[in-house]
Amino acid sequence: MGYIVISVLALLCLLPFWLIISGSFSAEDDIIRDGFRLVPNHFSIDAYKAVFSNPMQIIQAYEVTVGLTLTGTILGLFFTSMAGYVLSRKDFKYRDKLAFFIYFTTLFSGGLIPWYILIVNYLDWKDSYLALLVPALMSAWNIILMKNFMKSIPDSIVESAKIDGAGEFTIYWKLILPLSTPGLATIGLFLGLSYWNDWFSANVFITTESKYPLQFLLYKILASAAVLKTDIAGNLGADFKAPAETLKMAVAIVVTGPIIFLYPFVQRYFVKGLTIGAVKG
Amino acid sequence: MILPALLFFIVFSYIPMVGVYYAFTNFSFDGGLFGSPFVGMQNFKFLFESGALYNLTKNTVLYNLAFIFVGNLLQLICAVFLSEMAGKWFKKTTQSIMFLPFFISFVLVGAFVYNLFNFETGSVNALLRGLGLQPYDFYLHTAPWKYIIVFFNVWKGLGYGTVIYLAAIMGISDEYHEAAKIDGANIFKRIRYITIPLLRPTFVLLILLSLGGILKGQFDLFWQIVGNNGMLYDATDIIDTYVYRSLAINFDIGMGTAAGLFQSFFGFVLVVTVNWIVRKVQKDYALF
Amino acid sequence: MKKRLFKLLSVCMAVAMLSVLMSACGGSGGSGSPEEGKSTDSSAKEESAAVDDGKPDTSKKVVLNWYLLGDAHADTPKVVAEWNKMLEKDLNATVKLNFTTWNDWQTKYNLLLASGEKVDMLFASSWADFFKFAKQGAFLDLKDLLPKYAPETWKEVPEQDWKDVTIGGKILAVPSTYPEYTPDGLVYREDWREELNAPEITDLDSIEKYLEAVKTVKKVTPIKGKAWNEVNTLFHNYYDFKNIGGDSGVIVAKSYDTPRDVVAYPFTMEFEEWVKRMKTWADKGFWTSNTLSIQQESGDFIKTGTGAVYWRNAPGASGFIADIEKNHREIKKMGYFPFTRFHNYAVPNLGINNGMAIPKNSENPERSLMVLEKLRNDPKYYNLMTYGIEGENYVLNDKGAIVSPPPGKDPKKGYGIASWGWRYSKNEHPSSNRWEGEDKLMEEFKAASRPDIFAPILMDYQPVKSQLAAVNQVYQQFGMPLMMGLVPDVDQALENYRSKLKAAGVDAVLAYVQKEVNAYADEKGLK
Repeated sequence: MGYIVISVLALLCLLPFWLIISGSFSAEDDIIRDGFRLVPNHFSIDAYKAVFSNPMQIIQAYEVTVGLTLTGTILGLFFTSMAGYVLSRKDFKYRDKLAFFIYFTTLFSGGLIPWYILIVNYLDWKDSYLALLVPALMSAWNIILMKNFMKSIPDSIVESAKIDGAGEFTIYWKLILPLSTPGLATIGLFLGLSYWNDWFSANVFITTESKYPLQFLLYKILASAAVLKTDIAGNLGADFKAPAETLKMAVAIVVTGPIIFLYPFVQRYFVKGLTIGAVKG
Repeated sequence: MILPALLFFIVFSYIPMVGVYYAFTNFSFDGGLFGSPFVGMQNFKFLFESGALYNLTKNTVLYNLAFIFVGNLLQLICAVFLSEMAGKWFKKTTQSIMFLPFFISFVLVGAFVYNLFNFETGSVNALLRGLGLQPYDFYLHTAPWKYIIVFFNVWKGLGYGTVIYLAAIMGISDEYHEAAKIDGANIFKRIRYITIPLLRPTFVLLILLSLGGILKGQFDLFWQIVGNNGMLYDATDIIDTYVYRSLAINFDIGMGTAAGLFQSFFGFVLVVTVNWIVRKVQKDYALF
Repeated sequence: MKKRLFKLLSVCMAVAMLSVLMSACGGSGGSGSPEEGKSTDSSAKEESAAVDDGKPDTSKKVVLNWYLLGDAHADTPKVVAEWNKMLEKDLNATVKLNFTTWNDWQTKYNLLLASGEKVDMLFASSWADFFKFAKQGAFLDLKDLLPKYAPETWKEVPEQDWKDVTIGGKILAVPSTYPEYTPDGLVYREDWREELNAPEITDLDSIEKYLEAVKTVKKVTPIKGKAWNEVNTLFHNYYDFKNIGGDSGVIVAKSYDTPRDVVAYPFTMEFEEWVKRMKTWADKGFWTSNTLSIQQESGDFIKTGTGAVYWRNAPGASGFIADIEKNHREIKKMGYFPFTRFHNYAVPNLGINNGMAIPKNSENPERSLMVLEKLRNDPKYYNLMTYGIEGENYVLNDKGAIVSPPPGKDPKKGYGIASWGWRYSKNEHPSSNRWEGEDKLMEEFKAASRPDIFAPILMDYQPVKSQLAAVNQVYQQFGMPLMMGLVPDVDQALENYRSKLKAAGVDAVLAYVQKEVNAYADEKGLK
């Protein structure tokens, strides 16, 4: 039964994606007239031509995104897991208070404007990668999830290590981290996805085109294609018109592709059986 | 070791929080945040005076409850099934595939919904006509939209949420399962008596985490699917779409912030209450 | 080892973050901007006082920070480099030209201005909330600077255009000087009209006959994508209901000739007549039942042969038709019906429909203004920044029209950025590939021109903002479906709409608008 349920669900997830792939290779007019098709009526790569109209720029954007994603994920994992570990320790006196302190930030926010003022006027991070990297390092959601994953590690491990004379950081680094690989993989995945998908902070903070991350560059291409259809652009000379509808789909493919290939790599860490014995030995 | 995290949240969350003060001012560029005139609760008035607040709150809360419970249950079930599956290739492939919808933007989700349900050429109506049945004009009736919206939201988050439960399952020591096997428990019994109870804290935690956002809606989801269609608002309007429309002609920083503050406050009260109850019942499950 | 390393790391982190924290606290959140604004103000005055004799002082080299709407062209960096060379020589200044991109540019405008970032000039426009920002004090007063730092512009911009951007006695922008008409109208398939023997489109009845012929004979849904704009603008123009001070929702002036006669149109007889008619249109299938949810432009369907009508303003229509003539040759002929023909007059855009403004936190407003002066008036500057590099991005043909890209060049070389803010008809060149009907239309508009008396009315809505929000909401939820004829029972829906509007406080909004209009009419001496 499990196989059937999973297969049906997987099919429900795969089908739309297939339609997008097919759509991205369709002629613009066909998509407007007929909507989505399993197989394109007229095969066309116009959408991809529009995406890759400036290939150097795309490559540059990939570099920026990969760099940000790697740095952000590694640093983020480090800080998140440390915080999660502290909160998971039952002998830590302030854990409830601090958990509340962290969770509270998901409830209230001052909105975009003070946030922008902080980053631009006080930190002076306008047009700097730091504005994309640092604010996304930690999230309350990730820390609390991390804490939850680490809770299942028996206290006895920490205690026996302490008796052996290990310091706090050694315990965390040598014992806790290897025992939390599924949790680390999960949070790492989430962090990686959030960096990979983030276009909004670049939208607000980055003004130099060569610093655009991939997602934002693609959104920019989409937005320009859409604007060329509006009245605002009545006066914009546009001989080179991008196919707006199929472009949306090509963009989805260009963004998703690499992550899909990366995901099996993450899955390697979802293995059972890291028992206490395995670590101690 | 938690110090970096605390500093991080002070700088990037608590300091910008002074911005909630916008909700109580009549913003002007001359004055900035603290120089603008203080107007008390005036910015909140548009929420309460319209008479729509009850229906909006109800819609938002019910949608979110449906998203949270249906979503989490389905993710949990998927994770359990996946973890028990033998075929390595099948398991990995399906898991990857379930992640795909996460990448599909709401703009495209909106396009899918339109292609499925529109009256003239939609796939569903084509099917109905093909079967000799009456076509149904979805865009003129409110009834089906609850299900459509919940379906697409759950669908989009399926892979993402499943990973959390899968990781939690992986954290369960194999010793329990081995012991149960020796005692002769079959796979269903092991799921029922070992996996599920051990996942309960994660389940409770995820629900608690989501409750804080109970009045915050997925603006993009609703906007891309429903658009400007006033005919459907009775069933599909949430606070975020309402605020967006209200301020469409004359955007006002104060009123926008006020709406956000209302949502936050409601979520805050709810989480603190539910957390308090959870603490009474089972201290370990509580969030803080 | 690791332990020590970590300690070091965490101490560094802590120090770094604390210092950030301190600096942020010292500035008490987000209110540092007004003081900074003041200091630039005074320094500006000092500087202008110091060099009151003769030419402005440009001895100090400055870098200016400019913002334009939209996207850069691939060649823009080259163009800007060229420009900066000229600027450095002439004015000892360079400009860092930033673009908002088209993503959420409204949000970015809000952020740039609300945060008090140091921007020396940005695109400003009545359709980009110029009046709202201006009224809330976001821009610098240019009154004293203009005669000194931009004397030519100061002389040549028409009196009326300066008046339009004068708010509370302050001149808050430099409007473009480019008389322009952008009335709404319908683009339609003229070849089908001829083929179907439908009458020429001259009024509402002929539009209806055309739509009916397309629907019944061609079996094509005439307005297949979004149809709201088509219906809404048709409604306003047919009855000559005028928006007041931008988009005024359900409150309108009843006609151009009676500016003081302000009404909430859902309560008029005209509206009742209209929604009844639209119900019959919707029932006949002139648009789809899901038209309010669909996100696609109706024009897209014309291109694929599955649509016939699209709402466009005149320059937009020209661009759309030119595109069809070039890329969809199977469509033989397109027509355009400007709604100005309902009442036989056209209203030119305000000067500030496009313009440039200096935010109040600018550090070098004088030099920025000098750059703008050059840009507007010196053809060398104007052509470079508007059309790109000659020979590379454009050439001028024998009629003085812009050919972009030059013959034989890659189409991607065709240049275009949102240069509208500094447009000046004296220096502007028409484009060589445009719809030939456009010139005739413009002549028609010019001949029937009457000044815009409604757009300059400043609407603040502050005293009635919660009622306005509620009214907007009711308008979108109940008004739009009613106007699109999508409701099952028109009478009942109309009654419901009206009572909901009353409950939302439409009377308060109406009274407020009426008051503002009266004050304006008194001031301008209107009837």
